Amino acid sequence: MLFLAPAVRAQQPPAGDIEGAIRAYREYLETHPDSVEARSNLGAALARAGRYDEAIAEYGRALTKSPENPALLLNMGLAYYKTGRLAEAATRFERAVTLAPQFKEQVTLLLASCDNSLGKYKEAIALLSPLELEKSADQAFDYLYGAALIGDGQDARGAAVIDRILSRGESAEARLLRGTLKQRAHDYDGALADIEKAIALNDKLPGAHARLGELLLAKGEIERARAALGQELALDPDEFVSNLNLGVLAKQDQQYVEARRYFERALKAHPNDPGVRYQMANVDLATGHPDEARKALEALVGESPDFAEAHATLATVYYRLQRSADGDRERAIAQKLMDQRDAAETGVRAR
Amino acid sequence: MRRWLVIGGWWLVVGGCWLVVRGQAPEPRRPHFTDVAPTSNFAYRTDNNFTGRKYFPQTMCGGVAAFDFDNDGRMDLFFTNGAKLPELEKTDPRFYNCLLRNRGDGTFEDVTAHAGLLGKDLGFSFGVAAGDYDNDGFEDLFVCNAGRNTLYHNNGDGTFTDVTERSGIGGKPKDVLSVAAAWFDYDNDGKLDLIVSNYTAWTPQTDKICAVNGREYYCHPKVYTNVAHRLYHNLGNGRFEDVTEASGFGKELGKGMGIAIADFNGDGYMDVFVANDTVRNFLFINQKNGTFKESGYEWGVAFDESGNAGSSMGADAKDYDNDGWPDLFYNNLKGQIWGLYRNMAGKTMNYVSGVSSVSRLSVRSSGWSNGFVDYNNDGWKDLYSSNGDIDNMGEISRQPDTMFENVDGKQFRDVSSMLGADFNHAGFQRGSAFVDLNNDGFEDLVVTSLDEKPRILLNSADNGNHWLLVNTIGRRSNRDGIGAALKLTTAAGRTLYNHVTTSDGFMSSSDKRVHFGLGAEKDIKSLEIRWPSGILQTLKKVRADRILTVTEPAR
Repeated sequence: MLFLAPAVRAQQPPAGDIEGAIRAYREYLETHPDSVEARSNLGAALARAGRYDEAIAEYGRALTKSPENPALLLNMGLAYYKTGRLAEAATRFERAVTLAPQFKEQVTLLLASCDNSLGKYKEAIALLSPLELEKSADQAFDYLYGAALIGDGQDARGAAVIDRILSRGESAEARLLRGTLKQRAHDYDGALADIEKAIALNDKLPGAHARLGELLLAKGEIERARAALGQELALDPDEFVSNLNLGVLAKQDQQYVEARRYFERALKAHPNDPGVRYQMANVDLATGHPDEARKALEALVGESPDFAEAHATLATVYYRLQRSADGDRERAIAQKLMDQRDAAETGVRAR
Repeated sequence: MRRWLVIGGWWLVVGGCWLVVRGQAPEPRRPHFTDVAPTSNFAYRTDNNFTGRKYFPQTMCGGVAAFDFDNDGRMDLFFTNGAKLPELEKTDPRFYNCLLRNRGDGTFEDVTAHAGLLGKDLGFSFGVAAGDYDNDGFEDLFVCNAGRNTLYHNNGDGTFTDVTERSGIGGKPKDVLSVAAAWFDYDNDGKLDLIVSNYTAWTPQTDKICAVNGREYYCHPKVYTNVAHRLYHNLGNGRFEDVTEASGFGKELGKGMGIAIADFNGDGYMDVFVANDTVRNFLFINQKNGTFKESGYEWGVAFDESGNAGSSMGADAKDYDNDGWPDLFYNNLKGQIWGLYRNMAGKTMNYVSGVSSVSRLSVRSSGWSNGFVDYNNDGWKDLYSSNGDIDNMGEISRQPDTMFENVDGKQFRDVSSMLGADFNHAGFQRGSAFVDLNNDGFEDLVVTSLDEKPRILLNSADNGNHWLLVNTIGRRSNRDGIGAALKLTTAAGRTLYNHVTTSDGFMSSSDKRVHFGLGAEKDIKSLEIRWPSGILQTLKKVRADRILTVTEPAR
């Protein structure tokens, strides 16, 4: 997730005594519970104090009174963004811009950041590409745009953006993006050098430790990977990649309670992510709840009929539930999908 | 206030009104291993002909078999070797296979040429399986190759004859790489049949070059096609029939590596597990009518716990928790999770890599051959793995082998570092066999490593634990007794299980004698043997610390 300076500073509480301001707003609201302005200010004060969940609750109450208030929606989106609940943040940002197009410039980068974090790279590119000429000197823009292009598999265009960033001087963001590109090309040593350099330049760069963790997993360096992923979560407890991978590691160690906790956090960042739901179904199966696993997997293959691993696990679940015919059917589907996937992998590939 | 006193390794915890004394269990005395290969004069070293170009099969070289070819009571060793590439021919003596006769004094004599086992006319050799397929009392050899596979008949006079053509066992689809094989009697007719694990179709002409940034790597296996493993039915009189299609093996296409043979569901018929590289693993359950049903999904061993097909390498099936059911183990590459599965009363397998600590212990190693072996004779089968990366890509590519000691049938701990410098040699280890070379009741190890001489690791056998080695001689069953299930009950009531097989790990074939470690006990209340013929034999009050030859009764 990209942390940008707050785009909107509307209805900020007075600087200084934040706790005093919160108390004052609460007291005022006891006698004026319908005051949208006071509740909005209370939300802003809570957000400023880092109490985002409380802020979200107050914004929510204010919105029941003023549902079409773009500033409220924007601030609520920001609070969600800060807590890593990006899908919820994006919904508020989109609604705010619809209601108040003048917010578009302020919100575009935030929305693109949400889209990137949610894996919606095409949506991010659609938002950012019209601004490329105008923002070509903007480091934050280039980083978001490069990440979106690389995430979407447009490596050549992504590389051009990286070059543009590096032409302005050394940059942690550019190093991270270049490392991502190299990792995808199976150049693990090159990727490691770039990502470690990115962290050396900015050890708080969002996503850098997560990317390092993923890379170390690919290289088989599990304990270092575990440490890197933990480092990312120290910066952002809801970061998706780290929660997912640490959940998988915990599952492999059969620490199922811990695994489930990581997966639930991952779902906070990417609600309904099929990969995470699949992992949770595996936890259900491993902990002796095949029927729960069956329900989850049936839903998954319903939504994602090409999800070969989900079909394969569902086959095993059916066999465990003595439903051999269903197991045979799912097994055949899984095999067909895997064969198709193998056939599609043309060309040579290093181990 | 709590005070901590440390007295001679004991923690004494003193509190206000309570006292707890907690003992740290002393470390058990462990045997260690010493490489005796340097004391013998032989030329063999594993040679995959790496000269810069990375040909796909080069990563798999150095199969090993431990068997007593001359029936002198001492286990001998056979090693396979590579070939010149791209010619795919053993153009030079450095590529010859090798037979070492055990002299019984800790040294070995190279008798390959006299035995007729040089393999000059073979291509690149991979795995080897030893077994007496014609029940004449002499162990024969099957060698897996790129190119034609080879069946060597042991003539009983120190020589072997290539009988591949007349046996009917040489046929396989064109260009298929056969990498491992196992002898077993799938229809319990008293004659050993053969399962061959095939990897892919490959020739030097179809070899692909896989490079990143101009640097060549070994290609990912997915670059090559999947193929069927092959089953050969022993018809008697030295003849075999390829029953791959009729048995059901032909329906499943994989990238076979190690084979584990066991009666997983306790029905008296041997089943087959094949570890596949980057393809789901196969568990062929014997249907008792000449056919097999691939049941990896049902048993939960097709994929790892996340539904992924890893790079499964070697495999073994033995009962590690002494509950009477053979469990399953396979290893794979660094960063993946080695798979340990507990057999749940012959109905399914539970993944236990995590709770047994195998997942945590294994992540840094790329494993090839492996197996359950009670190296310290404590009655719990430990987990050995020969390790080394696919490719020489950095300082941690050379790896030492690992021994995970079975603590109580539930947990494993890595004791590799305590097993001596020779055990901890870092290399590109590949094949391995378990064998009692000096008949002292402790399992020794023989390990190959790319571009090196093999290590012949003698177990120091010095922890005082007791043992029994059982040499089974079948009469109605196959003469080796392969498939016989043994149950040993000690005087104190401890029950141990094992079965006769020569197949474990990858490309390798181990001592067929069944090994039991007995810990401090030296009195055996009973030894039950269920022969493949169905005959149940019980021996009472068996003395420990000896090699016991048991002949199958007539009925």
